[in-house]
Amino acid sequence: MARVYQVPRHAFPWLLAGALLASLPHLWRGPLWLAVVVPVLLGWRTLIQRGVLAMPGKLIRFPLLLAVIGATLYSHGTVLGPEAGVTLLVAAFALKMLEMFRLRDAYVAIILASFVLATTFLFSRDPLTTLYIGVALVVVMAALVGINDPESGVSPWRHLRQSGLMILQALPLMLVFFVLVPRMPPLWNLQVNQQQAKTGMSDSMSPGEISRLSRQSGIAFRVEFDGEVPPPAQRYWRGLTYGWFDGRRWSQALPPEVRQQEYLRFPNGPSPEWYERLLAERGEPDWRYRVVMERTGQQWLYALSVPFSNRQEVGLARDLRLVRRTDIESTFDYQVDSYQMPVAHQGLPEWERRFYTSLPQEGGNPRATQMAKDWRASATGDGAYITRLLLWFNQEEFYYTLEPPLLGENTVDEFLFRTRRGFCEHYASSFAFMLRAAGIPARIVAGYQGGELNPLGNHLLVRQYDAHVWVEAWLPGQGWVEFDPTGAVAPTRIEQGLDAALAEYGESALTGLAGALRGVPLFARLSLLADYIEFGWAKWVLGYSQQNQLEFLSRWLGKVTPQRMVMALAAVGGVIMLAMLLWMLWRVRRPRLVWWQREHRRMTQMLSRRGVPLAPHLTSAQIVQIASEYFPAAGQPLQDWQRCYDTIAYRKEITEPMVLRRQLRRLRRLVGRRLIRPIRLNPKTDLQREA
Amino acid sequence: MSTTIGRAISAVSSVVLGKDEQIRLAVACMLARGHLLIEDLPGMGKTTLAHALARVFSLDYRRVQFTSDMLPADILGVSIYDPDTRQFQLRQGPVFAQLLLADEVNRATPKTQGALLEAMEERQVTLDGVSRPLPEPFFVIATQNPVTQAGTFPLPESQLDRFLMRISLGYPSAETELALLSGSDRRDHASTMKPEISSAELMQQMELVGKVHASADLIDYVQRLLAHSRDSGLFVVGLSPRAGLGLLRAARAWAFVAGRDYVTPEDVQVVLGPVTAHRIQASTGGASATSTQQLLEAVPVVRRS
Amino acid sequence: MKRFGRTARQLWQRWLQRRIPPSRKVTLDQRRIFIFPTGYGFLFLLIAALLFIGGINYENNLLLGFSFLLVSLFLIAILHTFRNLAGVTLVAGGMRPGFAGARGALEVRVQGGAHAHRSLWLRWPGAVAEEVSVEPGQQQSLWLTVQLSRRGRQDSGRLRVETRYPLGLLRSWSLVDLDHQCLAWPKPLPGGECPASGGEDDAGQQHQRGGNEEFEGLRSYVAGDSLRLVDWKSYARGRGLNTKQFSDPAEGRLWLEWQRLPGVDPESRYSRLCYWVLELDRAGERYGLILPDGSLEPDLGPLQRERALEILALSGEGGG
Repeated sequence: MARVYQVPRHAFPWLLAGALLASLPHLWRGPLWLAVVVPVLLGWRTLIQRGVLAMPGKLIRFPLLLAVIGATLYSHGTVLGPEAGVTLLVAAFALKMLEMFRLRDAYVAIILASFVLATTFLFSRDPLTTLYIGVALVVVMAALVGINDPESGVSPWRHLRQSGLMILQALPLMLVFFVLVPRMPPLWNLQVNQQQAKTGMSDSMSPGEISRLSRQSGIAFRVEFDGEVPPPAQRYWRGLTYGWFDGRRWSQALPPEVRQQEYLRFPNGPSPEWYERLLAERGEPDWRYRVVMERTGQQWLYALSVPFSNRQEVGLARDLRLVRRTDIESTFDYQVDSYQMPVAHQGLPEWERRFYTSLPQEGGNPRATQMAKDWRASATGDGAYITRLLLWFNQEEFYYTLEPPLLGENTVDEFLFRTRRGFCEHYASSFAFMLRAAGIPARIVAGYQGGELNPLGNHLLVRQYDAHVWVEAWLPGQGWVEFDPTGAVAPTRIEQGLDAALAEYGESALTGLAGALRGVPLFARLSLLADYIEFGWAKWVLGYSQQNQLEFLSRWLGKVTPQRMVMALAAVGGVIMLAMLLWMLWRVRRPRLVWWQREHRRMTQMLSRRGVPLAPHLTSAQIVQIASEYFPAAGQPLQDWQRCYDTIAYRKEITEPMVLRRQLRRLRRLVGRRLIRPIRLNPKTDLQREA
Repeated sequence: MSTTIGRAISAVSSVVLGKDEQIRLAVACMLARGHLLIEDLPGMGKTTLAHALARVFSLDYRRVQFTSDMLPADILGVSIYDPDTRQFQLRQGPVFAQLLLADEVNRATPKTQGALLEAMEERQVTLDGVSRPLPEPFFVIATQNPVTQAGTFPLPESQLDRFLMRISLGYPSAETELALLSGSDRRDHASTMKPEISSAELMQQMELVGKVHASADLIDYVQRLLAHSRDSGLFVVGLSPRAGLGLLRAARAWAFVAGRDYVTPEDVQVVLGPVTAHRIQASTGGASATSTQQLLEAVPVVRRS
Repeated sequence: MKRFGRTARQLWQRWLQRRIPPSRKVTLDQRRIFIFPTGYGFLFLLIAALLFIGGINYENNLLLGFSFLLVSLFLIAILHTFRNLAGVTLVAGGMRPGFAGARGALEVRVQGGAHAHRSLWLRWPGAVAEEVSVEPGQQQSLWLTVQLSRRGRQDSGRLRVETRYPLGLLRSWSLVDLDHQCLAWPKPLPGGECPASGGEDDAGQQHQRGGNEEFEGLRSYVAGDSLRLVDWKSYARGRGLNTKQFSDPAEGRLWLEWQRLPGVDPESRYSRLCYWVLELDRAGERYGLILPDGSLEPDLGPLQRERALEILALSGEGGG
């Protein structure tokens, strides 16, 4: 074969640009040496292309490969796993460019480039990244078109246009696949972000942790309400509860005598008694909403009051919080119905009472303990005691601050009677301690409070700095009741959010550029728009899961079965493919016939139907002559028709087209009326005479 | 106007018997400013036809018998030193005529043929670096023996293109032959014929031929014929654009001879054979006339879609 | 097993024959175009599958979307690769004969349809492929070599037209029988006596040809007479232009004869004759041919050589 196996020169601009664009996001993110090595290798390749440097031999390439593997091991400690794998892949891909000379190498490099490009999605999923990857793919495919176009000296833009066109055409098909290809549960458990930090709340809380979280403006989750949005004071997003206090740290824990199945209820799992009672007691939901969560790497889900979710992988714990079966590794959305209802009927068994009143054994915080015992003794009941305590918080010189002083051994004593400067975790922690010290069962609830309403999408945006902790106490006859000591100290925090509350004490949660920009109206509006887009993206693209797919498709297909899905996929995809094929093949239309040509066709068709043997190559005069022999009666109008037709078709420019048009039509009809009683001479001999 | 042409045609017909169609074609060819190639065996009346045409149109007529040892100068002319006047004098070759009959043009060497054909194309002759225009009007009627005869140099395809038409007279019909045999030698008649049209008038008529109208439909038909000749595989090589122009020119002249000021598809169909006969080669190796007929039958006169 | 392979091949050929019957002009349409992924196409799909599995396992919808985009691109590439071949018209053109055992060439004219066709590869079976691109409505002429195995008219077989444009992930192709034939001259076989009648002597005289012509006399110059024959001496003496007249010379001629090669098998005879035709042509001799089923009048020059070789190629075929 005379094929040229070398990469054509004109394909190089796109090849190099595609390689660069494919590896760029990884250079940003990956180890430093990668950001140095890849541009150097690509620059080297460019110089080779320019003829400045020679192609490196195996003796250079092999040690380079070893060095790259070594560097990956050094940076990641392994060459396996997604992080290290992608680093190695990008580096190896850049090395592949170095040895690219034959067409085969170019094919492999381009297909690898698209793979490298796709791995970016492991680390970043926002709309802008997606747009970037789309553009980069156009360039990579332009390189593929380039190496397949052997014509030298063609404009590279032609290849870019071709590739862009093809990707545009591929988009509708992709959409169909995206919507219709059945989603499956993971085949095996793979965790991409093992080294990536977990975000948001953790399963324990020590002083200073929540305030650290409050300095982050990252998005925790977004909520879309079906109906009215609750007022700020009611937006307590419960995430997890801390029941165990070791004197300094509050943690989530289960008393040893409780079994997991008793405590946590998942759909299709065993249904504990408390859950049945809860179901029986609930009335109409107060709020119905959908939460779209960002990745946290943890299981906790956030919801209001007493939540019920319809999702298979979401369970309800005895302490009335939603939990996902597995960690949230990608955008996750769930529908919730929340009920504002008393939960006294759940009861407080002895083990639970013991657990929620437990305090560290060795008598820490003696002063606070003593005060709690004294006050409780003098109070008429639990309620009065709590009211007095909250009033005390409100009236004493307590400060709400993000930068509290450090606390020593007896954290509660020090905070309540010495420093008196703290953030929500200090208030909640000491408040819960005071309750337990007085023998009232209490627990700390961690979650978010508040949220910013985006008027564009009418959804609530909850950020990390909305993180909050508060307290729940068990009151006889009422069950678990929420108390927020922070609200007693700084009511603004609850009504208007963190910023407003801190402003009262002359502080700001967000420092630097982000904080400064928040005040600019244009930026605020733009960030609202960006949030709106991102929410849609998260809801429709990132969060399109097996469950959403089923819900969405059942609207169109009725019952969703795999067969129906495959059939719908084939049908819609096939129709799109066919439409595109037709569009591509028949984009060039032929010129239409003009009216006299159509008239001529009608005439010949009419004569043929009546048995006159006509061939397309006959001129009008010949047609008329043959037809006249078959139908002598029509001879005269036939001749007139022919004269008229020749005048129109062949004479100088006609002046009165409408008149002639009518005339031609009239003559044809006249001929039609005269085509009667054909006299069969001997058609065969006639024809021979003609020929 | 066409009556004069009609008179001329009937005058020629009285000398060249039974060849009305060919005479009309020859006249049309002249009116279209084209050169004519007649392919025939000797003794078919080629010379008579040429001579008669020259007489009727009152053209200055020369005849050259081509042989294998002829040089280009034998046709174009040569500068000769005249001892009397002691100067070089141009002896104009036979090409300086209004109607040149180039008899058996395929006997000459390609070089000599080339000289003639170049003069035909450019309508001027360059001698000793000086260009001399040929007289107006200027026609060449070349005759050629069928290639099967030995010792000939068939004209190359590129040069055949310079002739507008190729016709052949063929044997006369029985009646014509009888008339021919019983009458006196027709060739003498040719030399005694009286002119019907002056050459100036002829030029005028040629002017009018150019104004014969070819409509868009007709040009479309011609184009489809050309396209089909290239696409159909009927011919080894399809018709060239020059052949297309020639076809249209010939059709105009034919329409003019028929007394019309516009071209109809019939005109194209009539001249298609003569115009294309020498330009294309049937891919089947058979006679080109058959393939031309096939071409004609394959292309609809009126566009169908 | 072998027989099974042969039967399958025959069935395939018969099916092709029905589907794409021989014609000197073929326009490629969906009935005549086959399409299948290339190795790179499969690699591309493999990458898409890997990304799909990754997307499922990492619950990453964007990875899934990317893999769907690659698959869609592949599907769109089917249409484009098909379209790149659809509408191409192939017309059998001229033929350049060659010697048996060597290569000849057949012309194929490639005509574009309503859109451009890029990077088409054409080849006859067992021959070298040529690449061509055609703009819409244009025509490109390609001379494609064919291997000539034996003397005579040789069927070219099915022309393979192939394209991978635009992405190289798919190959669409057609096998077209253009009813094209190439002429194979006999393979020249040197050696042996020149199988000619007419003798060396006659041939030798060709070079002094002019001297043998007999001078007959003078006649006055007529326009059109060769200037070489003008009697310039008498013109210089002031007797006007006169033309010398010669009688036709008797020419030496050489007949190459099939009969003069007894005891040699027929094919070798043609080969010998072919060798001598070429030799005599190089020497500028005048020669003719006498074969069992035809003959050629003596002559010289390239045209004569062509004719001689053609007769030698076709002889024995029963009037080619």
